[in-house]
Amino acid sequence: MAGNSLRMKRFIHILAISLLLTPSLWAQNDSSRHNISIDEVTIVGKRPMKEIGIQQTKLDSAILKENIALSIADVLTFNSSIFVKSYGRATLSTVAFRGTEASHTQVTWNGMRINNPMLGMVDFSMIPSYFIDDASLLHGSSSVNETGGGLGGAVKLSTKAADADGFGLQYIQGVGSFNTFDEFLRLTYGNDHWQLSTRIVYSSSPNDYKFVNREKKENIYDEQMNIIGQYYPTMRNRSGAYKDLHILQEAYYNTGRGSRFGLNAWYINSNRELPRLTVDYGDEKAFENRQREETFRGILSWDFLRSNWKVGAKAGYTYSWMPYDYRRDVGNGNMVSMIRARNKVNTVYGQAEAEYYIGKKWLFTASLSAYQHFALNRDKNIITTEGNSRIVGYNKARVEVSSSVSAKWKPYERVGLALTLREDMFGRDYSPIIPAFFIDGVISKRGNVVAKASVSRNYRFPTLNDLYFLPGGNPNLEKENGWSYDGGLSFAVSKKNKYSLSGSATWFESRIRDWIIWLPSPMGYYKPTNIELVHSYGLELKSNFSLQLLSDLLFDLGATYSWTPSIDYGKNLSEADRSYGKQLVYIPLHSAAATATLSWRKWSLLYKWCYYSERYTMSSNDIMLTGKLPEYFMNNIAIEKIFSTRWAELSVKGSVNNLFDEEYMSVLSRPMPGINFEIFLGITPKWGKN
Amino acid sequence: MISLRHILRLATLYIATLLCGCMEWDYGYTEDFSFRGRGLYIINEGNFQYGNASLSYYNPDTKKIENEVFFRANGMKLGDVAQSMTVRNGIGWIVVNNSHVIFAIDLNTAKEKGRITNLTSPRYIHFLSDEKAYVTQIWDNRIFIINPKKFEITGYIECPGMTMENGSTEQMVQWGKYVYVNCWSYQNRILKIDTTTDKVVGELEVGIQPTSLKLDCNGKLWTVTDGGYENSPYGYEAPSLYRIDAESFTIEQEFHFHKGDAPSEVMLNGSGDKIYWINDDIWEMDVTASHLPIRPFLPYNNTIYYGLTIDPKTNDVYIADAIDYQQQGKIYRYSAQGELIDEFYVGIIPGAFGWK
Repeated sequence: MAGNSLRMKRFIHILAISLLLTPSLWAQNDSSRHNISIDEVTIVGKRPMKEIGIQQTKLDSAILKENIALSIADVLTFNSSIFVKSYGRATLSTVAFRGTEASHTQVTWNGMRINNPMLGMVDFSMIPSYFIDDASLLHGSSSVNETGGGLGGAVKLSTKAADADGFGLQYIQGVGSFNTFDEFLRLTYGNDHWQLSTRIVYSSSPNDYKFVNREKKENIYDEQMNIIGQYYPTMRNRSGAYKDLHILQEAYYNTGRGSRFGLNAWYINSNRELPRLTVDYGDEKAFENRQREETFRGILSWDFLRSNWKVGAKAGYTYSWMPYDYRRDVGNGNMVSMIRARNKVNTVYGQAEAEYYIGKKWLFTASLSAYQHFALNRDKNIITTEGNSRIVGYNKARVEVSSSVSAKWKPYERVGLALTLREDMFGRDYSPIIPAFFIDGVISKRGNVVAKASVSRNYRFPTLNDLYFLPGGNPNLEKENGWSYDGGLSFAVSKKNKYSLSGSATWFESRIRDWIIWLPSPMGYYKPTNIELVHSYGLELKSNFSLQLLSDLLFDLGATYSWTPSIDYGKNLSEADRSYGKQLVYIPLHSAAATATLSWRKWSLLYKWCYYSERYTMSSNDIMLTGKLPEYFMNNIAIEKIFSTRWAELSVKGSVNNLFDEEYMSVLSRPMPGINFEIFLGITPKWGKN
Repeated sequence: MISLRHILRLATLYIATLLCGCMEWDYGYTEDFSFRGRGLYIINEGNFQYGNASLSYYNPDTKKIENEVFFRANGMKLGDVAQSMTVRNGIGWIVVNNSHVIFAIDLNTAKEKGRITNLTSPRYIHFLSDEKAYVTQIWDNRIFIINPKKFEITGYIECPGMTMENGSTEQMVQWGKYVYVNCWSYQNRILKIDTTTDKVVGELEVGIQPTSLKLDCNGKLWTVTDGGYENSPYGYEAPSLYRIDAESFTIEQEFHFHKGDAPSEVMLNGSGDKIYWINDDIWEMDVTASHLPIRPFLPYNNTIYYGLTIDPKTNDVYIADAIDYQQQGKIYRYSAQGELIDEFYVGIIPGAFGWK
């Protein structure tokens, strides 16, 4: 009972914070974070045609560039309502919207979809936040405007021209706990026509944080090998080292006569060990578990703009090589392969799009994108019954084409309507027409109160692994399909240089049929299968509050809260099945996050907090001692000071993560680090521009 | 402005309250069990990579089930993917595959007596004496020799025709001084090991991927293949059940299934004169039969049977249902005549058993 009342109390607290501080449209506060002043909010006047009825969370560059050591996964944890599932520090992190799975989140980078065609998902720990200048989360139906397959939503990541005038340089170095080193370098050059930028991030760490392992005990034996004592060992997170290099080259050319050309090229070279489970009794030096990745993504783009129309085209290429090695010492340090898996993907991409405005009331858009994937999976070397060497794996190519048209209409200044129709083709399989309808309207100009609603149908095709992985791949899988609905209200009020307060509340609902899930089979391997129906619904609250305390002292607070029941209404497999009507595993019912910033002259103090309620690890929602993932709170704090000299701007920043040294896990048997520290030093020479 | 300040103050207060929150973990408690008389340990495999394997204990006389007895008795987890249990002299040896460990527990208390660590990917343990046992592995071409008294690895048996990558040795049975072992994953052989020299002295080819191995009352080995899977580069064929004469190490009879069938879990009754297996339904056959039975012992019931054991004393049949592999599985207990006696929930993916 005590536990229940404690949980209830915390729930009320979280709800109270979210409601009191009232939710945010992050985008409206971009400037406040840097300029230490608050502008008037005029939402009504700023409702772009393209965003009619859209439910989105925008992350501005101040949030994205708060810390060079952060991945996009870390940023989303503290600044959005979506669920981030992390297997550890610098380890696989996936994100999911509104009670769906990671594969239901479509991710685009400068317009090109970057979901791995073999796995269907994106590892967000592999995306440094410093490489992203603009990020938008398109919740539910809103993703249909960007791409198909986003049954949960889409994450839209973009880079932007640096807006440089002449040469620029920025260098930041971070040194932190567990021998962590983060280096960031950016070189820029710009003039009237050209904008060039080179960014390099290099992060490395043995990542051997200490933790008390409460899931295993060490034995103390007497001479007769009787156990005379046991204790929970304090261990290090062995086999968790990483070295990640990212290079991003951008070039933009503006003709000044309407045409803009762009080049974005992103190279990743990552070498990560996979940390051991808490219940691993192997000798830590006897096993090696390593994941490497070499990925190149390149996009060439052209846009031509006129006053009432725009056309654009993109061509892109992705190469990704992902070797995984599991080896053991068979004696004398001789490491021999147990698993030597190699995955390679080559993707060629092309896209064309157009927009056409008729007056101020109509906007028409059309888009066509095509991806040609060539995927090679080599999972295991075997010897056949004839004594020949063979490889278990697959080699498949698939074309994925997606096209959309939309019409957006504002019959009156206060009302907007939009209809998007999308058609997806994967290989030889077509989706029916995917419709998405959006509406919004200004209820009150005074409080900038806007109501929004949308409805869409959506489909997601099985991934290449779902279809062809050996063993288990199931070519008879149906594509997932579902309906999504959402509706909500937002408001924003402000007084120039005094305060601003904005918020939104959104109800959402989705029903996904033929949900694809990998389950073990009696044959000893996992196999994907379709489950009948999953019903997700819930509430998202977002808020932002800024208060100008003094002319040079600004307080800013953003908060989000999500309530996401995701209920399995699949047919019971047998009478014994107790999963019907239960929350899906690993999806928290409640999650919340808040970020508070206090800015004074060249000082800023940042406090980040997030919360996840207990997650079930069993489909029956029973909680056993061996399957508990209790709720957790996470607190991070950072303080930064900027020094301006005649020749350069210098920054010094100290951050403390997991401030209260909380023992927690996001996934069973994967311990997360306790309190840890990092100091960053940054320099931006002024090159005579002071 | 006053109201805004008020809101700010409230917010600060709420945040300050929340910061003190921390996770609620259940650690450090242990229970003292005292299991008397006969009993059945159920090994619940758990989900791969989640470390949620568990151990259940069932008293067939009182029909009482206790779940998570390893955790409750020892204050720690059993590990990742519990594979099998072998009982010897009041000690249960639980092989936990992806934790690289074998735990020895007292069968009356479920408390740990010791452990053998640093195994590659252990599957089964077979005792030759109090001081010598073999441990089979997957992803290793060696069978480990261990000293159970000292909980240490003492040597290896190199298995021919396999590398670390496609190495797979599974269940073991003993006939005289020879131990026989089936090789399953991407393999098609039964190996014969001389226990005096710890060398492989013979091998017998069967069908693709023999999954289990038992020795009946007449000195005959029984194995069943799963036939591989569609598009497997190793091949895909109709599975078969084999009766092999242990003495001559030759196949006596092959019983054919249909392509696409997935027979597994060959088990013997207490007297060793009947075999049982799972192939969607539960099947039963005399060890002297010359044809496969036409009707199953228990028909398929819209569920996935994952484990099977026969009470060596009463011949009651226990069937493990993994349901959806993500919730507590269920055990059904039937009499030798096929009447349901009891049913109870255990841990995630019950797959193996150990009789006390």
